Amino acid sequence: MSTHTEPDTPVTKTEGVDADAIEELLGDDVLDRETHSNAEGIVVRADAVQDVLQTLKDEAGFDHLSCLTAEEHPDRFESIYHLKQYDDPTNELSVIVPASREEPVSQSAEPVYRTADWHEREAYDLVGVQYEDHPNLKRILLPETWQGHPLGLDYNQDKPQIVTFDEHKNPLEEDHMNAEGGDTMFLNIGPHHPATHGVLHIETVLDGEQVAAVNPDVGYLHRCEEQMCQQSTYRYQIMPYPDRWDYGPGGIINEWSYARAAEDLADIDVPEYAQILRTMGSEMCRITCHLLATGTFALDIYGDFTAIFMYAMQDREKMQNLLEDLTGQRMMFNYLRLGGVVWDIPEPREEYFEKVRDVLDEMPERLEEYHDLITSNEIFQSRCIDTGSLDPETAKDYGVTGPVARGSGIDYDLRRDDPYGYYDQLDWDVVTEDGCDNYSRLLVRLREVEESARIIEQCIDLLEDWPEDERNIQSNVPRTLKPEAGKETYKAVEGAKGELGIYIRSDGTEKPGRFKIRSPCYNNLSALEEMSTGEYVPDLIATLGSLDVILGEVDR
Amino acid sequence: MATSTPLPDTIYRLIGIDGFAAELLSMFLAAFLIGNIMLTMTAVAGPWAKRKITAAFTDRIAVNRVGPFGLLIIVADAVRLLSKELIIPENVDRPAFDLAPIVLASSALLAFAVIPMGSGIQLADPETGLVFVFAVASIASVGLLMGGYASNNKFSLLGGLRAVAQNLAYEIPLVITAASVVLFTGSLQLSEIVAIQQNTTLAVVAGIRIPAWFAFVNPFAFVLFVVANLAEIGRNPFDTPEAPTEIVAGYQTEYSSVYFVLFYLGEFIHIFLGGAIIATLFLGGPAGPVLPGFVWFVIKIWAVFLFTQWARSAIPRVRIDQLIEIGWKGMLVLSFANLVLTAVILGVTGL
Repeated sequence: MSTHTEPDTPVTKTEGVDADAIEELLGDDVLDRETHSNAEGIVVRADAVQDVLQTLKDEAGFDHLSCLTAEEHPDRFESIYHLKQYDDPTNELSVIVPASREEPVSQSAEPVYRTADWHEREAYDLVGVQYEDHPNLKRILLPETWQGHPLGLDYNQDKPQIVTFDEHKNPLEEDHMNAEGGDTMFLNIGPHHPATHGVLHIETVLDGEQVAAVNPDVGYLHRCEEQMCQQSTYRYQIMPYPDRWDYGPGGIINEWSYARAAEDLADIDVPEYAQILRTMGSEMCRITCHLLATGTFALDIYGDFTAIFMYAMQDREKMQNLLEDLTGQRMMFNYLRLGGVVWDIPEPREEYFEKVRDVLDEMPERLEEYHDLITSNEIFQSRCIDTGSLDPETAKDYGVTGPVARGSGIDYDLRRDDPYGYYDQLDWDVVTEDGCDNYSRLLVRLREVEESARIIEQCIDLLEDWPEDERNIQSNVPRTLKPEAGKETYKAVEGAKGELGIYIRSDGTEKPGRFKIRSPCYNNLSALEEMSTGEYVPDLIATLGSLDVILGEVDR
Repeated sequence: MATSTPLPDTIYRLIGIDGFAAELLSMFLAAFLIGNIMLTMTAVAGPWAKRKITAAFTDRIAVNRVGPFGLLIIVADAVRLLSKELIIPENVDRPAFDLAPIVLASSALLAFAVIPMGSGIQLADPETGLVFVFAVASIASVGLLMGGYASNNKFSLLGGLRAVAQNLAYEIPLVITAASVVLFTGSLQLSEIVAIQQNTTLAVVAGIRIPAWFAFVNPFAFVLFVVANLAEIGRNPFDTPEAPTEIVAGYQTEYSSVYFVLFYLGEFIHIFLGGAIIATLFLGGPAGPVLPGFVWFVIKIWAVFLFTQWARSAIPRVRIDQLIEIGWKGMLVLSFANLVLTAVILGVTGL
């Protein structure tokens, strides 16, 4: 749909990645080669991770560490770094780092990619890989007193865990955390606080009203989603879970991320008609999510449940009614199936199309009102412009994607760059803003609502004209899916918050051997520290609001 | 037209008994009456009118289940709030923690003692009325700081400090702007200020006499005063001391039950006090055609209340540093400019 300037590097050509050249580039550090269905994999020595990744980043243009998947195998621990390029995310490479089971030590990638910080902490927490040279290798999702690593092979699920609660622990004790300066104050923002959009705990050190240090403490909403998916069958049991990640509600987009990975793994085709339905549903979810983000962001700035919040909720309600008519649910849609969707547009079709058009017709007028009320308000501008700055280089280092990245001028949208569904057949634009601040992120969201409305409109036209006997909503998929053993894939879709990726390794059974979720919010939130240190408390809150994190997706 | 007889004297005459005891009794009765007028208005405003007004701004319905138009929610809420458990956190600074809500509520109520409400309702009419109002109303800052500091909570502390910083920054422009009105009147006595506004004629349009309300005489001062007043009562865009999304509820985070009611009450009385000062200084106090003075007075202060609710629903909150900047670099300079200009114009024209 749009053109790219490819990085002028010797090993990545416009047509994919040349694994041989990369192997040559890395020399002795490469132990072996593997092939994942999305990318070539190279196996490297555990003590050369930093060198390898630095070389790949500098000389092969892999500037995006999309995800880190760790797993314990009977004979080894394995960490897979899924590398991509911001300029062309179809250029992918998996760097596989084995470590022995007796001594599961692997070099940390944190000095190369900042985003590896949280990813490696998670891998350590859930799987038990030790990352050497990591600045802060602590548990991240589970409480610090947790015993064992739940996704490890030896983990005993029946063993009771004792999570201590110090009832009369002096809450001021932690004050001494920064006692040398003498003029700072430690403040717990959350887990119960009006502006944390869920159960997020931000450990903050204040210097007067200014933020001296921030440390987001996540995991309060951890629901073992990865493990639950690993214990469910591909065909039917996994699909309801994605709805519970981004309950913004971006349900259909989340389902699509799983569907895309699983369909890639099991070679399932999706009929074109179903692709259009998926595309339309996704964009409806995106509008719903973005309106929620706009409303809550305004709430953070305005401070009360004001007009803007209620207006956003009203418009969101209209979109949700459409989704309800389509899927039968308001939040937990469970609409997609492997190979298609569960049902067609509700009858009478004409009436539904009419409803959708009514909502879309009102949209420009409503958006105009948001611009009148919010974005052109001078006080609002003075609060948002140049606060929460995130420059593009830092953003890439933190693996930031979605509207947050596009608000920093990074032209990266998987719908266009790694096309799936029906997006490459439709006429729409990727929205970017160069402000790198809270205001740009809001503008990106509002303009993306317009683009999504355009996409929905085209989908409606297509669906309306589709011949009646060709309305095929599902391809033939066997009742029991058993993708061949050892097949691995990592596929991502553009969620409302950014790149939502799923890694699946098949072990030949009807359940995934490893199921890993790459949450965009998790990565975006990790950049909060960079964005808000040195600013005022109100800006910290505004920045958090503009990141638009859904804790269900962060903690999974 | 404000009466020259204060309310206690009227009651004293009505009782018809001489003596110190009767005098004392009539004073108490008058104070009781005025206190109740304000408390009733607050009771209507807090649990009911505020909800209805905000709901109208945000396309909602608000309370409509209890009684006609949901009016009985006032009773229901009063019972609910008073019957809640009073939670006092560990290690709070006891006398200060208990006194803060009382200081806040009473400081605002006290100021109403000198406000001429029309129809002869005025408790006292000292010659320094205006100074008294500002002096008493500023005691609220002490209450906020006491509450914020004594609560043993960091959010409260931040809120208390913000409240004091804000009140300091905006009290001065408020008083300076009020002084420009005093230049016109040459008197600090509130009944005098009202009388001069009403008795001077600004213009006669189509046979209708337009009185020289200072809002018409000096609109610039009026705007300055209204803005500074928004900051003084802590409503958007200046509601930083409470800032629910930033510092939870500021100085009132740890207050519950009766103490919370007192805080809430104090805040609303302060809003009405702000309205009363604006009405008295700029809108001719209780003056107005046809209706009795007291009714006009109530209409005027409710109009100001409505304005604060409108601001709250539609305007974003400024950041604390921006707030202080606007106060010291903007409002203060403008209010002094206004004062000097007014003085020069008065001196030159010899009005």
